[in-house]
Amino acid sequence: MTVSLPVNKRLANVKARLNEPYLIINIFLAGVIMLVMIYSGIFSPDRNSYPVECIHEKLTGEPCVSCGLSHSFSLILRGRIDEAYQWNEYGMRIFLFFASQLIFRIVFSGIYINHPEIRKQLIIYDIIGSVTIFLIAFMPFLIWIFKFS
Amino acid sequence: MEETKNNSGQNLGIAALITAIITFVLAVIPCVGLIAIIPGIIAIVLASIGLSQAQRNDSPRGVLLAGLIIGVVASLISFSQYFVAGKFADEIKNEKWSNKVEEIVNDVQENVVRDLEDANVSIKVEDGDEKVEINVSTGKSDKEKTLEDLEKGNDSVSAGK
Repeated sequence: MTVSLPVNKRLANVKARLNEPYLIINIFLAGVIMLVMIYSGIFSPDRNSYPVECIHEKLTGEPCVSCGLSHSFSLILRGRIDEAYQWNEYGMRIFLFFASQLIFRIVFSGIYINHPEIRKQLIIYDIIGSVTIFLIAFMPFLIWIFKFS
Repeated sequence: MEETKNNSGQNLGIAALITAIITFVLAVIPCVGLIAIIPGIIAIVLASIGLSQAQRNDSPRGVLLAGLIIGVVASLISFSQYFVAGKFADEIKNEKWSNKVEEIVNDVQENVVRDLEDANVSIKVEDGDEKVEINVSTGKSDKEKTLEDLEKGNDSVSAGK
């Protein structure tokens, strides 16, 4: 009896946490980033068997600014940084964006659960931080898009 | 019953926001930006349905609005990629022509420089018995040899002294 009560409480806590939209979003986004990492890890850069092809290259016949990103990610995961830069010079900053977001999701979720009194501020900080990192990481792509649009 | 209705609107909002965020990231990557319009439309539809439910039940709309706004912006960026592809193709065509002209100019320039490098100029002046001959060469090898001689200190001037 003494054991079942804390278990019930824990289950209730977990259920209550799963009702929090912020935590659900964090879990899903962390899952998506993990999938990106797994995708980069599974496909070998030496075999060049990536299923995603550049639509720009198909349409125009010329590589775009983000071509070679999958290769670059795979090479970064394997520690071949120099080769990764050769495939896509912006690969590292995009990879760092995803890696930082994975850490953000875990850390911010932990703070959100443990400090309910600062939840609103935490979400605001998360939005500001994520948007800033996003702009820094994707700036070359954004410049490229706005250059042609 | 009312709580479950509120939750359904909220769940749609969460789904819309997650889809919209993923769409936004995809939309700014030119390689996959064109197909990001599909999840973008899904995010807008989910957020719109959620908003209508939330209006009926008078439940919070923050997540739904965030999902809708991010979804719309992401879809617009994705849609702009169609124009980007068109202009990019045009620019490539123009660049190809300008590159060809540039290549020809560079080739001509290289040939002229190569000819000048190997040129030997000889001037002869004769006035009765007096005869002066000046030989000038722009050859690279001669210059290098002279430089080497100067470095060694074996040039003709110092030898004469």
